[in-house]
Amino acid sequence: MAREFQRGHKAKISDLTAGRDLYIGVQVAGPGLTFDISCFGLDADERLSDDRYFIFFNQPKSPEEAIQQLGAQAGDTESFRVTLDSIPSSIHKLSFTATLDGAGQMSQIGSGYIRIVAGGEEVARYAFSGAEFSTERAVMLGDFYLKDVWRFAAVGQGFDGGLEALLKNFGGQVAEEEPAPAPAQGGAPGFAPPGQAAAAPGFSPPAGGPSAAQQPQPAPAFGAPQGTPSQGTPPQATPPQPASQAPPQHTSPQPAPAAQHTPPQPAPGSPQMHGAPTIAAPIAPPGQVPPPGQTPPPGQVPPPGPPGQFPGQQPQFGGQPPGQAPPAPAPYGQPPAQPYPGQPGPGQPAPYGQPQGAPQGVPQGQGQGGAPGVQAALAQYREAPTGQRWTPQNPRLMRVDLGVGGQPVLARQGTMVLYQGKVDFSYKGAGFRGRIVGNATGQEMQLMRCTGQGQVFLAENAAELHPIELQGDAICVSAESVLAFDESLQHEVRRIEGHGIPGGALFTMQFQGTGTVIVKTEGTPVVLPVTPTTFADSNAIVAWSAGSQVIISSQVRLRRAAYPGHSGETVNLQFRGAPGNFIVVQPYEV
Amino acid sequence: MDQQLITGYAPAPVAARMENHGASMLKVAMQSGQDLFARTGSMVAYEGFVQYEPNPPAVRQMASQWLTGEGAPLMRCSGDGLLYLADYGANVVCINLNGDSLSVNGTNLLAFDAHLQWGVERVKGIAKFAGQGLFNVGVSGTGWVALTSRGTPIVVDCGRGEDETYVDPDALVAWSTGLKVKGKRSFKASSLIGRGSGEAYQLGFSGQGFVVVQPSEDSTDRLRARG
Repeated sequence: MAREFQRGHKAKISDLTAGRDLYIGVQVAGPGLTFDISCFGLDADERLSDDRYFIFFNQPKSPEEAIQQLGAQAGDTESFRVTLDSIPSSIHKLSFTATLDGAGQMSQIGSGYIRIVAGGEEVARYAFSGAEFSTERAVMLGDFYLKDVWRFAAVGQGFDGGLEALLKNFGGQVAEEEPAPAPAQGGAPGFAPPGQAAAAPGFSPPAGGPSAAQQPQPAPAFGAPQGTPSQGTPPQATPPQPASQAPPQHTSPQPAPAAQHTPPQPAPGSPQMHGAPTIAAPIAPPGQVPPPGQTPPPGQVPPPGPPGQFPGQQPQFGGQPPGQAPPAPAPYGQPPAQPYPGQPGPGQPAPYGQPQGAPQGVPQGQGQGGAPGVQAALAQYREAPTGQRWTPQNPRLMRVDLGVGGQPVLARQGTMVLYQGKVDFSYKGAGFRGRIVGNATGQEMQLMRCTGQGQVFLAENAAELHPIELQGDAICVSAESVLAFDESLQHEVRRIEGHGIPGGALFTMQFQGTGTVIVKTEGTPVVLPVTPTTFADSNAIVAWSAGSQVIISSQVRLRRAAYPGHSGETVNLQFRGAPGNFIVVQPYEV
Repeated sequence: MDQQLITGYAPAPVAARMENHGASMLKVAMQSGQDLFARTGSMVAYEGFVQYEPNPPAVRQMASQWLTGEGAPLMRCSGDGLLYLADYGANVVCINLNGDSLSVNGTNLLAFDAHLQWGVERVKGIAKFAGQGLFNVGVSGTGWVALTSRGTPIVVDCGRGEDETYVDPDALVAWSTGLKVKGKRSFKASSLIGRGSGEAYQLGFSGQGFVVVQPSEDSTDRLRARG
């Protein structure tokens, strides 16, 4: 479970994850703003002594590819890959920054985060929001720094001057006079070192470095062999630091990583690409040497985790904290003091889980290895009691305390998974008229009334649940997406008229009053503000605020519809309304 | 090859006998001499040299009553290497038993160490319950067990209040042995005229211990060896 960081928090990477091949995702966004997200590789004096470790849009990887910029993906505005074990020893700190490109200031950003993913799992997240900043134009989000071991710190410090000032702060130079954002438009490599400078496209591996960097290897001494003359080194782009400083740092320490990566004992028959897999290799390297599989040469890693299985299920529901509430912050997950294999649990057969050559030295943060016992393993799933009536226990499970508020709850039949206390479940009829209406419109709900004193846990088919609290206002929810609601709410079937709909009209359920409705969605929904051009598929829409007006917009294209295999998207709903209205759409069409 | 999309999914170094890789994949460090029982068909990948023996005689004996007419849904895995198991994307919870004992719904059991004491037990009270017919596997000893749960599970303490804890049998994943279990039929006259609340049958737990419940009532047995 991801560990939440606050500004100023620090932790050893090894406490967060045993992985050394990390994915760093940054999300930051604001209306009308664009951002440059970059990574500064700093030396022991926190200076950017080597321009090749300024990873940004124009230089997407460091020479040995220990740091790579990957672009936007999986909900992240920008993402990086950091292979800790191949970072040269001259680099002591990686500072991830976001700078505004163009006008604006940091207080305008919405919420954002920087997160670390390793081993297929999000292990750390530092969330921030625009409220923490004012007129800054840049922000240092988080640092990876080397203090005995690699650590992560959530920084969240604003910086006034933007990218240019940030670069100066780190001892770099903006060689050209043009303002910092300029490089975004042109390909002009403002900060690139000579070797890469002329390669305007920026992303093709320039002659000098990366092509040779398949294996961690002595980086070419700075300045000397790299300035391939063919590239025509532009005079402005001279390295910011005097050459005298840089080279010595690189020449000597560099070879170290290379030496570490050779597997101590080449596992016979194991395909080179994945040393880790085979019997001995992952396990054998005693002590701190990471298994070779961890830092695979690019292009060879076949990780088992299917892409797209990102653990990030951000709460995205209209600003209310939906079911994330993890019961207790995984206390057992980070017992750093317990290197797992070192001490098998009492009574545990020694060899267990401690595959050959027990990596005694590897500190194990991750994991189940830490504390044996059922209670420890299940601690993260414990019930989270709060004094409130509705408590999301996790994104898919809702707890309602009938004692709070004292009124009954109406829930879809069969959604109770567990209850404690004296609770009575009874059939809730819709009444004669209700049955007729329900049958005719399809907006029928098979409900049960939960009364009494106690706690009821509701869930259905592991669908995501979202509590929506109504305070006198109204919301339209399609009936099959309702899981439960307070009995104090009035609900009625509402009709949306329009031409071209099979059956003549669409129906929905409108809730009004004061109380809570639990809406369920298949998958993480998107909440869209209602704008002049907001459309949704009538099969995927889950809910919308009742203040917005719904119009059927059918795309009538006779020519296409006449053939089988037309687009299939014929009836759309268009929403109109004052600002503040929203619609909720799920990634699933019923 | 462009591996941008797959960054961050490389396996983390082995730290324990069983570990999660992501929320829904289990990684087991196999070593010869330390066999593993896993649900048949749950293997999604393995590295190294691992052999599988479906329906071994020992299991057949133990699980003879599990599913009549079919082989026991367990296979014995042995060898050296890394084994990855998953069950249709269900969440995986791995537990290091330390002398504890646990009763796990047969459908929700993914894998366990072969040296643990285990046995198939039939839940009293609902023997005649149709469908999945609640068969449980009691596991105890010292070693590792992996469970699956559709959605993040929740662990509820029993014996906290004065009342019993009632669970929908379809959503039940596991409970600590030592709890008293009894069936409860919430039957009323109204149920007879087709006006049931949809919750006709629950299991009541009392005593000191905990119950693990999944947020889904879908208890279909997905893992089934084909052919």
